[in-house]
Amino acid sequence: MSGSSKLFLAFVACVALAMSPAVAEQGVTADSIAIGSFGPITGPAAYIGLAGRDGAALAIKEINAAGGINGRKINMIFEDDGHSPAKALAAVKKLIDEDKVFMVFNVAGSNGTVGTIDYVKEKGIVMFVSFASAPAVTWPFARNLFRGGTTEVPRYGELYAEYIVDGLNAKKIGIIGGREEYPKNEGDALTKQLQKWYEIAPVKRVEFNIGDKDFTPQLLEMQQVSPDVIAFFGNPAEAAIALRQAKELGLNQPFFVGTTMVDQGLLTAAGAAAEGVTGFALIPLLPSSSDPAMKAWRAKWNAEYPNLPPNRPNIFDVLGYADMYVVAEAMRNAGKDLTTDRFIDALENLHDYRVGAIASPRTFTKIHHIGNLRLQPMQVKNGEWAQVPWESKRPSDILARYH
Amino acid sequence: MTWRIALQLVLSGLSVGSIYAIVALALAIPFKASRVLNFAQGELVTLGAYIGLVLTSYGLPYAAMVPATLLVAAAFGILIERLFIRPIVDAPEFTLVIATFAIGIIIRALVRIHWQDNTFFLPAPYSGPALPVGPLRVNPSYLVIIGSTTLLVALLVLFFRQTRYGKAMRAVAFNQTAARLMGIGVGRVFGSAWALAAAIGALAGLLLAPVIGINPELGHLMLKALVAAVIGGFGSLGGAAFGGLLLGVLETYAGALFGAAFKEIIPFGILIAFLLVRPQGLWGPTQARV
Repeated sequence: MSGSSKLFLAFVACVALAMSPAVAEQGVTADSIAIGSFGPITGPAAYIGLAGRDGAALAIKEINAAGGINGRKINMIFEDDGHSPAKALAAVKKLIDEDKVFMVFNVAGSNGTVGTIDYVKEKGIVMFVSFASAPAVTWPFARNLFRGGTTEVPRYGELYAEYIVDGLNAKKIGIIGGREEYPKNEGDALTKQLQKWYEIAPVKRVEFNIGDKDFTPQLLEMQQVSPDVIAFFGNPAEAAIALRQAKELGLNQPFFVGTTMVDQGLLTAAGAAAEGVTGFALIPLLPSSSDPAMKAWRAKWNAEYPNLPPNRPNIFDVLGYADMYVVAEAMRNAGKDLTTDRFIDALENLHDYRVGAIASPRTFTKIHHIGNLRLQPMQVKNGEWAQVPWESKRPSDILARYH
Repeated sequence: MTWRIALQLVLSGLSVGSIYAIVALALAIPFKASRVLNFAQGELVTLGAYIGLVLTSYGLPYAAMVPATLLVAAAFGILIERLFIRPIVDAPEFTLVIATFAIGIIIRALVRIHWQDNTFFLPAPYSGPALPVGPLRVNPSYLVIIGSTTLLVALLVLFFRQTRYGKAMRAVAFNQTAARLMGIGVGRVFGSAWALAAAIGALAGLLLAPVIGINPELGHLMLKALVAAVIGGFGSLGGAAFGGLLLGVLETYAGALFGAAFKEIIPFGILIAFLLVRPQGLWGPTQARV
């Protein structure tokens, strides 16, 4: 081959390279982006994963119908983690190593999530955690891990402690909590913060197993110490049974519940026994809200999933939907040449982005990857969750490290 | 512990135990007739609740839905027996147990395909806030569960002692060959036993649904029901029912006195103790094997 021919071929190769879309990144082709997702869709925590999956799927359907992300359609591959850290790790390994996804969209609970964090850090793939509150997702900081709708659970601890002591005027606090990661973290965070800010130790802290159907032993222990407030951390089905049994045993203390229970599911299951219960909501409008924005979204959701029970959509449907839009927005901003680095940069440049009034705004920076730092206190009044006009006044130790 | 709490615990234990008792009865009936230990019984509880859910969604009022559910469940029981059990009824007991396991897994998987693991609620007209009864607070759902169990045991005792068909089922349980020689349709008795077990399982599902909701794991209490049946004796319906009630009360008291962890230990500790000391249970025939 002559020198001029070689030069011509090199020129053609350079032009072809420059004109072709970047397809080298794992999970990204000329016309698609593969997103791996996992969460519990079987077992007692299925209300989390089913809802997260369905909410995200609805968002993807809309995004693809509107033309996709810079000409690429999103393709979601979903795995069930059964709410188990081991199964979650197996799911993530499959998604990253076999399915070769571009990123992982996590709609698991904390229990599943904690099993995956080290592996995801090692692989460098972005994992966007929609609602697990396990601190290890964002603390210590990792460049490829983000959280959407929830703050770190130590922040829950601050808000819970301040609201229970200052808002509910409680000095004697009893805690009933599940043994798994999320309720245990919530109980630990509340206990730690009560001690730190108010020098109060819970008068009693008792545990139960996920899926338990009888809380008589735990409630009797509470009865013996007569707390001002009973904090309950677990799942809505468990809380509903505990609330009913508490009334049967004559415990009339107010109940404070963790964030997963501030939803219609608790009211459906507990009925009148839920009256007066307080807790913090993760989203500005609960799915049962009569706000026009939520009503419109609910109508859209019902059209897509017409045969699901009245306790759906739940807060995790909303979070999965809203956070998939967050991910899509960052991918769009990353440009046609979608790489993990560009995607992370785009996420870190999102400021107060939200898909609509149903979602809280998401902001990420180069020093914190927690999208939502706000929680709204709520109380059950006349069978409905209603906002409580209460604002935190204490400076947050957790938020201080992100300023 | 005050008297009021002690009585409240008894009530709570009897409520839980009544469900164990119903499922234990459903386990004991086909075992009496055909020596088949039905490990799909938990899923028949689940199936019953979903049948009730479907019928309710078609607008059937509660009073009509309950008998309709029991009938549909009974038809399922006959179908399972004819399609899967009768062809292998002479196989070793282990084979039959594995077959029922497989049937249970298939039922649960089919339920999951359609409804997934969403929790559905089936409101009952008797559901409502706890009622004050003297010093106690009584959940009306629990009263219905306890009442239904009592009525069911009475009806089953009458059926097996007073009716020709009940006596035929007892004859088959006692000696299949002799029963066949006496002109009893053994196959039909097997089918009836499965129909009855499925209908009773469905009743348990309908009773549980308003209390804990409906999802594919609703019938997860199968192992506890097995313990109840072992305590009472597999050959004795009254024994199985008593075993369920006793187990419920013991379990509740164990949790109240020693902590929640003991609630899981006590039932299976009792199971092992009975298998070691009195494998035939309190009222079961001495040749019973589990």
